[in-house]
Amino acid sequence: MKLIQESSKTKIVSNFVVGILAVYGISQKQFRLDEPSLFHKITAEIISPMQQGLTNSKESITSLWENYISIVNTSKENIVLKKEISRLESDLTFMEEMRKENLRLKQLLNYSDELPSERIMAQVVGWDSANEFKVIRLNKGTRHGIKAMSPVITDQGLVGYVYRATENYSDVLTILDQNNRVDIIVERTRTHGIVEGVFNFKCALKYIMRNEPVEVGDKLITAGVGGIYPKGIKVGMITDIARENFGMTLSIEVVPSVDFDKIEEVLVLIPNQQGLQRLLSPTAPVKESKI
Amino acid sequence: MRMRFSEILIAFALSCLLLLGLEVITSSLLPALGWYEYRLTFNVLIILFLAIRLDSPMVPWMILGLQMVHSIFSIEGWALGTLAGLIVMFSANYLKELLQLTSAIMTMITVQLFQIIWFVTVTLIICLKISNFDKFGMILWSFIPGSILLSIISPLIFWVLEKIWKTPTDSGHRGVEI
Repeated sequence: MKLIQESSKTKIVSNFVVGILAVYGISQKQFRLDEPSLFHKITAEIISPMQQGLTNSKESITSLWENYISIVNTSKENIVLKKEISRLESDLTFMEEMRKENLRLKQLLNYSDELPSERIMAQVVGWDSANEFKVIRLNKGTRHGIKAMSPVITDQGLVGYVYRATENYSDVLTILDQNNRVDIIVERTRTHGIVEGVFNFKCALKYIMRNEPVEVGDKLITAGVGGIYPKGIKVGMITDIARENFGMTLSIEVVPSVDFDKIEEVLVLIPNQQGLQRLLSPTAPVKESKI
Repeated sequence: MRMRFSEILIAFALSCLLLLGLEVITSSLLPALGWYEYRLTFNVLIILFLAIRLDSPMVPWMILGLQMVHSIFSIEGWALGTLAGLIVMFSANYLKELLQLTSAIMTMITVQLFQIIWFVTVTLIICLKISNFDKFGMILWSFIPGSILLSIISPLIFWVLEKIWKTPTDSGHRGVEI
C-alpha cells in the first residue's frame, strides 16, 4: 500500500516537473528566428551527415527500386541483361544528372550576379520532420559564412531565410511556412502586400485592398522592406482571387515561383556592406561590387 | 511486469534509436523520393505507445527525451510535443479501462483518436504563439493525411516497440507497470 502511494507521488512530481519544463520551453520558443542550443548544435552536426548521405543516395535508391526490386520475378537471363542495361542506364542517368546540375548551377550563378551580396551555394539535405513547419536543411553553416536571417534563393526565385545555423548546417524557413511573411510588390501594378505560407505548398497574398486592379497571372517580387530580402527577387504568381461580398481586402492565392518539389541547390545571400547599405537606404547609390 | 532500471534505460535508448532512424527517413529519404507534402510524425507514434502501454513515473521523462531527439529534425522543438504527450498520457490514464489494443484495427482507431488529441493540443498552442486563430483549421487539416497513414502503420511500429519493451502483446488495456 505504502509502495503504491510512493509510486503515485513520484508520478505526480514527475508529471508536474516535466509539465512546467514544457510550458517554460513553449514560452521561450520563437518560430521566426532561433539561436541553436548546445544540444542542437552537437546533435545536428552528428545527425545531419546521415541526412546528407540519404539525400545524395537518391539516384542509387531510385535506380535500385526501378532496376532491381521491380523485376525480381523475371528470368535469370533477363536479370543479367537488365543488370547490364541498368548499369549503362545508371551511368547515363549519372551523366545526365551531372549535365542538369551543371545547367542549374550556371543559371543560379548568372541570376545571382545581379544581386549585391556575397553568395554561398548549398545543397538541400532534408526537410523538417513536422507537418506544420516548412523548413529545409542545408549542408552549409556558420563555418562557411552563413548567418541567421540571410535570404535564400534559387534561379527561380525566393526560397526563404536562414532560421538558425550550426557550424556546418543551417535551417531555412521557406516562404511556404506560415511563420514566414514576405513584403512584396505586384510587379505590374506596384501594389504592396504580404505573402504568407498556407497549406498545400501554396501561399496567400494579404492586405490587398478590394479596389486594387490585381489580376490572375500577376507576378510578385520582393519589396525590399523589412531588412531581410533584397528588392526584386521573384516570389510567385497570383493564381486565384476570391472577391467576397464582405471585408476590405481580397483573398488571393499565390503559387511560389520556386518549385519546392524539385529544390536541390540554393544560394544563400550574405549581404555585404554595400548590400546592407542598399537595404537600409534603397535610394543610396551603389558601387559595383566584386563578388 | 517489473523491469530493472538498466533494462528500462536500454529499452529507452533503443526507442530513441528507432525514432532517430525513422526521423532520418521522414526528413531526408522520403523527400528525396518525392514525398514532400505530408510528414509521418513518428515521434507521436512512439510517445503514444509509451503513454498508452506503459505505467511508470519515468514516462514523462521519456516523453521529454524522445521530444529532444525529435527537435534535432524539426524547428517545432521539444516543448510543444512534450506538453501534448503529457496531455495524451493523462487522457489515456482516464480512459484506461476502455483501451483495448487487442487487434490491429483497434490499435489503428485508438492511435487515430489520440493523434487527434495530440494535434488539437499542438495546433492550439501554435495558434496561441503566433496569435492567429484563423489558421487553426488549416494547421489541423494539414495533420490529417499524415496521421491516417501513421495510424495504418501503427500496429507494426507498436509490435516493434512491444519487442523492445517486452510488454505482453495480449495485454489489451493500458498499464504494463515497469
